[in-house]
Amino acid sequence: MRRHVHCRYPKGYELIGLAGLTRALAELVCVTNNSGMTGIAREASGLMDEVTLYHWEPNANSGKPMLALMEKGVPFVSQYLDMLQFDQHKSEYLAINPQGTIPAMTHNAKDGMRVLVESTAIMEYVNDQFAGPNLMPADPQDSWRVRWWMKFMDQWLGPSFSMIGWSVFVGPMVRQRDPAELSAAIDRIPLPERRIAWRKAINGDFSDVEMAESRRRVGLGIAKLEEELGKRPYVGSNQYSLADINIFNSTYSLPLSQPDLAGKDKTPNIMRWLKRVYSRDAVKKTWAMGKTDLAHRYGLIMAEIDE
Amino acid sequence: MSAVLYHGQPNGASLTVLAALEEAGLSVECRPVDLLAGERHALTGVTEAIALDLGVEGEGPVLLVDGEAMTESVFLAQYFDEAAGGAGLQPADAYARWEMMMWCRQITERLSPAAALLGNLATSQAVVAAIPDDDFNALATRIVSDDLRHRWQALHDGASDCAQIADSETKITTAIDRCEKQLGDGRDWLMGSFSIADLVTFSWLAGMRLLRPQAFQDAALTTAWLDRVAARPSVLAALARATVAEPLRAWAPGPEINRWG
Repeated sequence: MRRHVHCRYPKGYELIGLAGLTRALAELVCVTNNSGMTGIAREASGLMDEVTLYHWEPNANSGKPMLALMEKGVPFVSQYLDMLQFDQHKSEYLAINPQGTIPAMTHNAKDGMRVLVESTAIMEYVNDQFAGPNLMPADPQDSWRVRWWMKFMDQWLGPSFSMIGWSVFVGPMVRQRDPAELSAAIDRIPLPERRIAWRKAINGDFSDVEMAESRRRVGLGIAKLEEELGKRPYVGSNQYSLADINIFNSTYSLPLSQPDLAGKDKTPNIMRWLKRVYSRDAVKKTWAMGKTDLAHRYGLIMAEIDE
Repeated sequence: MSAVLYHGQPNGASLTVLAALEEAGLSVECRPVDLLAGERHALTGVTEAIALDLGVEGEGPVLLVDGEAMTESVFLAQYFDEAAGGAGLQPADAYARWEMMMWCRQITERLSPAAALLGNLATSQAVVAAIPDDDFNALATRIVSDDLRHRWQALHDGASDCAQIADSETKITTAIDRCEKQLGDGRDWLMGSFSIADLVTFSWLAGMRLLRPQAFQDAALTTAWLDRVAARPSVLAALARATVAEPLRAWAPGPEINRWG
């Protein structure tokens, strides 16, 4: 029996921004175990060299491999998973990625079907595997810097965006549901640290100290990014790279989500860089794959920035 | 190019990078620093400091190239491999590289913080706690990262958290289980051919064999693999840089425990 999940956005939703929301939801593994994703199995056994990407909206973690594939000019089958409907916990998807995290990618290579997870690592695979413009700098020191910034985002700054997102958005959203159902759903989450995070989000257990630390990191991270983009036109090097794709996908909402920290006056380098990336054809094509109007709304912000 | 590698005793992140440098065969001046005296935070000639100030890895080695401080042991190993024109430390095949990077990330996110916590409690807590308050405050003031400074402060205060210790021990066991499974097909090296994955995993696990030997009791494949890595000329050369009798017992504040639990 198909169970429909209804949710509504709580007040304060705009505060965290789409990137924070998506980060939070990217690890959301919950609630329904009914089917509804017909076609996944068929796509996963598809044509030679076919690439299939399982993703949500074009930002944060999902946006990274989407944009990398688009920049490289690699055609791919898009499997849109609606995280608000918990598609990522349905059995067809868990058969591909048992951890139930999004995004995941399959590549039907000569030696068999390859399954890839973790958004930054998927991007590196896409860049290494396929022809097209090189999204890593040729100079080893520049490459090191690109990797350093991606780790800084993935493991230090990003989780702070996430914690704010979980606290402000995900917790209030899921608290509207039946507690017994939620508890059973949490028990089914494959990764133990995700179970802990979920319980905290649902119970509103992020402490003031934890939240203050996340806000401190967001403020410091934005300031450091502003400094970095005063030194070079792109993150970590003079060329557009995976670091730009990575960080763009988690920061393009900042002018809306963190107006006290980022904007035309406070962070002019970030804003010019956002505009530079936003103007790329691949970004436009990627954003057109979104099913909500949020990317369009951020596009309107970009239109106000002078290059 | 002027390059200097500032490193601690050959264990953890410093061991990975020293051994990778040997594997790559590059000529880079190596200067030991006393990590537990805070010397890493008093380097001269640093004009680009963000990676030193805000690195995720904690008290890892610092490669200073033309004034830029470079950190994070996996990326420094990649840098040496690539600067040498390909020293064979990374698989050529894109999917094998993805597997290696996923493996290294598992190690640096889960094993490294756990090993650093247990290692520091065992051997460096007493050293840091013995630093007189005035000296410690001067040292702490030089540490730019608030979160890294808190890990130092916890050592100075003699703090320990039973739940974190138990969780760290579980993470050590989990890492050993992963190695056993990976080596189960009889391969010599974790990724098939020798790679950065072997260096990184060895660097954080070898010291645990001394601290938690019981965790290795049923891990014959892993202990044999540890012995193979230990016999690599690059690892022997890195360990020979030690100025203490047992470098695998030398620890300094490492990566933070995942804030999510």
